[in-house]
Amino acid sequence: MRRIILIITYLITGFLFSQPVMAERMVTDLSRHIIEITSEFSGTQLLIFGAIERDVLLDDGARGIVVEGMDYDVIVVVQSARHDMIVRRKEQVGPIWANRDSLTLKNVPGYYAVTSTRPLNQILGEQDLKRLEAGIENLTINFAKPVPQAEGKAYRDGFIRNMKAKDLYNQQEGTVSVLDDILFRAILEFPANMPVGEYKVDVHLIRNGELLLSEQSPLEVGKAGLERLIYNFAHIYPASYGIMAIVVALFAGWLGGFLSRKMSG
Amino acid sequence: MQTYLPIAEVSINIFLLLLMGGGVGFLSGMFGVGGGFLMTPILMFVGVPPAVSVATVANQITAASVSGALAHARRGGIDYKMGGVMIVGGLIGSFFGSMIFTILKSSGQVDLLISLAYVLFLGGIGGLMFVESVRSILRNRRGDKPKVGRRHRTWVDALPFKMKFKASKLYVSVLMPVSIGALVGVLTAVMGVGGGFIMVPAMIYLLNMPIKVVIGTSLFQITFVTASVTFLHSVNTQTVDVLLALILLIGAVIGAQLGAKVGLKLKGEQLRILLAILVLTVCSKMALDLVVTPDELYSVTPAGLIH
Repeated sequence: MRRIILIITYLITGFLFSQPVMAERMVTDLSRHIIEITSEFSGTQLLIFGAIERDVLLDDGARGIVVEGMDYDVIVVVQSARHDMIVRRKEQVGPIWANRDSLTLKNVPGYYAVTSTRPLNQILGEQDLKRLEAGIENLTINFAKPVPQAEGKAYRDGFIRNMKAKDLYNQQEGTVSVLDDILFRAILEFPANMPVGEYKVDVHLIRNGELLLSEQSPLEVGKAGLERLIYNFAHIYPASYGIMAIVVALFAGWLGGFLSRKMSG
Repeated sequence: MQTYLPIAEVSINIFLLLLMGGGVGFLSGMFGVGGGFLMTPILMFVGVPPAVSVATVANQITAASVSGALAHARRGGIDYKMGGVMIVGGLIGSFFGSMIFTILKSSGQVDLLISLAYVLFLGGIGGLMFVESVRSILRNRRGDKPKVGRRHRTWVDALPFKMKFKASKLYVSVLMPVSIGALVGVLTAVMGVGGGFIMVPAMIYLLNMPIKVVIGTSLFQITFVTASVTFLHSVNTQTVDVLLALILLIGAVIGAQLGAKVGLKLKGEQLRILLAILVLTVCSKMALDLVVTPDELYSVTPAGLIH
């Protein structure tokens, strides 16, 4: 009985607000949510995938999915937690090149990757890209103190060149594939020197230059096994670590000498 | 097989590291030197951060020198009193060296300090060694005998705070061994070298110590001073990579055995000329890197963190 009332209510409201709500749904996931840096770690790949579902009113009044004529674009942005970074510039001092001036960049990601279905500027307007920080050139970079514009740009470019050279910043436009306008997948590369910590993965769904949906998933990158043990030990108990390093060296040295004496008779 | 180094935070092929340890071990076995002055720059060339290279090599030298020191101890080749005095100097030196290192690291100048120290010391020592060995080869050709005689009194004898060193049969001021030890301590902290290349000539020419206790005593001092540097860098900058040190050590132990065998077949002067050329090559590579316009003028380091 209650069920019938519910259906009737639904129908009535359906008639009253006869404009159907045509909303996309998007489900995204990562091939894994934790990346562990172990002693064999030499960089890794992450698969980001998802499904787009569009809820529409069909001709016969039913609701369903239409896949034709919908050109979806997807932008995927992956970034690590943000920290301050110091950028130093070398200058010639006498005959040698030495670090002279430096600037501090506020809150920049240590890792940043963006990938998309098409070149970014064909997907969204400049303002939207800036707002989403989609694209390396659209990253908001602020300095700790006011800097003349030309100087700021030089430092910013130098910073980005450095990060790109270390494979920590990368941008691949046109590598996200969308299958039948329903399924999409993106593959991102992480280098061995990727920073540890909390990452976020943002997936933006766009159609005709209009941002429809954004989904965020967390990603955790941490050292594991022996690497984690050594790293944590060194940073949490530096004095004990130093003593351990000495003891290990003394023992290894003694053992090495002992073995080579045995072997040479 | 790539291996991720937990403190250096880079991934390097483990066989390359073993080969580097082996190669440097081979040369150090052949020439009878510690090899830190080669290992630190080579680590930097393959992408290990300079600060981590210095601190880790200091740790590795602790291991390399302890077996040598033990071998000399068995033969009675250590002047413990002299070694002790030099260790006191070394601990003071390593403390200040590590302090300078830490301050310059936070102001972004530590790489420059390391390079300059290398160019200065390797250039000087390599140049001297080269000239000296060319001279002695020429002398041998002419058939001259090096002059042997009573040593002359020098300014060293005029220094106060004299102390008796029985094993070395010396009565000298403690100021001299303390300052030699201190200089070596600073060099160990800043350059990641044992400092044998400074200490051994200083002990022979400045202190007039008998040759048979020079090497053992210097290894004895190096063991303690590199241990002190390992500790200080661990506490101040967290730059000691135990895993890297161990991998290098394994290669070095094997290499040193082979090197020592080859070294026995070469003449002293030939060895010294080869070593001088090696030292000068490393020195010019580092000097060149300082003066050549770099491809990238900008560099990035995380703020607040010391890495």
